[in-house]
Amino acid sequence: MDMNHHNNSGWSVSFRVFRQKTGKDAHYDTVKLEVDPDEYVIDAIERIWAYHDRSLSFAHACHHSTCGACGMRVNGVEKLTCITPIHTIARNGGIVQVDPLRNFPIITDLVVDMGALYRRMAQVGHRPVVPLAEEPAGMPVRKSNNGEYTRLSDCIECGLCISACPVAASTPDYLGPAVLAGALQHGIKRQPGLLKLVDSEDGVWRCHSAFECTEVCPSYVEPGTKIMQLRRNVVSERFANLFRSNR
Amino acid sequence: MSTPSNQPSSKNWYKWFDPRGKDLGSYAFILNRITALGLTFYLFLHLIVLGQLAIGPEAYDNFMAMLHNPIFVFGELLVVIAGIYHGLNGLRVALTSFGIAIPYQKQIFIGLLVLTVLGSLYFAVRMFTA
Amino acid sequence: MLATKSTPKSGEGMWLWLIKIASGILIILLLLLHFIVNHTGLISITENGLLTHEGVVQYYSNPLIPLIEILFLVFVVSHSLIGLRSIVLDLKPSRSLLKGINWVFGIVGVVAIVYGIWLVFQILSFLPA
Repeated sequence: MDMNHHNNSGWSVSFRVFRQKTGKDAHYDTVKLEVDPDEYVIDAIERIWAYHDRSLSFAHACHHSTCGACGMRVNGVEKLTCITPIHTIARNGGIVQVDPLRNFPIITDLVVDMGALYRRMAQVGHRPVVPLAEEPAGMPVRKSNNGEYTRLSDCIECGLCISACPVAASTPDYLGPAVLAGALQHGIKRQPGLLKLVDSEDGVWRCHSAFECTEVCPSYVEPGTKIMQLRRNVVSERFANLFRSNR
Repeated sequence: MSTPSNQPSSKNWYKWFDPRGKDLGSYAFILNRITALGLTFYLFLHLIVLGQLAIGPEAYDNFMAMLHNPIFVFGELLVVIAGIYHGLNGLRVALTSFGIAIPYQKQIFIGLLVLTVLGSLYFAVRMFTA
Repeated sequence: MLATKSTPKSGEGMWLWLIKIASGILIILLLLLHFIVNHTGLISITENGLLTHEGVVQYYSNPLIPLIEILFLVFVVSHSLIGLRSIVLDLKPSRSLLKGINWVFGIVGVVAIVYGIWLVFQILSFLPA
């Protein structure tokens, strides 16, 4: 399927792509592409790589919003580029600016180092597959061999929320929306050290209610709501501990 | 555009005020901060000024007369506007913090902006035509 | 740089946040009350209200008023200083600098409240015995 010759409802859109290689200055490369407006931004990026500049680095894998790899900022807004049709962010003859995610160190071009996020998600015990009772939203479920219903966790660890969060922009120590939502999924009662981790001023108390995270999340996690829920859980858990230790 | 610094850093504090790539919630947060700083400044000014009360009737009444100067009235109007916005947005933060109306937080923000504008107009008229 | 990580110890944020929200709500209620009393004639105190020294003193003759005003002062100072501290936290002070800032805010808060209480008593001293 050679998209280059597929021109029936073709648009002409310029892509201004952030480039940064080690030892060189950051700059933008602008490439004009013939695209189908129903194609996705990731398709355009891939075509730039395939036909224009093989040195362009970008992260992508599943192309159907499950792996969380292709997060970028499109015209300044965090998007999962595999599910962002070009016609939603540009018009014929327009310009699209593509930047890497904010608040992660840039490795090269559009690739950022998500290591800190993944480590923290593991630290709070976020599970990619959960029992239905723990994440009851109405998405497809499967029955496992022991008869228990499970489903894929909403959060695909794509990092868009952390990129959008104004607090994460100030400090890399802030755990971040994804991590706090993951901590809620795991449950502070389940893991003793978890309460201490989130009950800190780099944890759950740092949120300033901007709800940018909820705005950009492609996966209905609603991290903002979960942070507020986690706060209530922390308060009730600490009050319960007060009475427990006084017995 | 110069090299964007992608690393989180406290030196990015001026980026709090960059409206690009942000949605309403960030504006709410920034305005809350700006009004908070203004109101805090007013608080300490107010406490000092009220020291005139301790000195006696002439000092206080003379000082009050000075406050009829339009510059001071304008300053007081700014305090009122800041107070209205900060209070209303604070209510929005309190509500969402308790899990109330989170899906409507954007609409609530727009509503409170409208109320702030209306309140500002009302008090501007009232304070300058007293 | 790692040695000066600003990670505050666990358990520090909850009370401050609770106080901030509670004081915020109480401030709104007290401000509404203040506005109704002073600027609408619903509860009449004096004609000129708080714009003359005499008006202020008469306002304070009701023993409820100094109590409410002092409480109001405590709420506002707490809310304001906790809020200022939140702004400072986003500037990532080192652990030791944060400790110093906590002390400064604490002292400023206490001084402001003590000064305010002193001021209330100064006003009360103008009341005829």
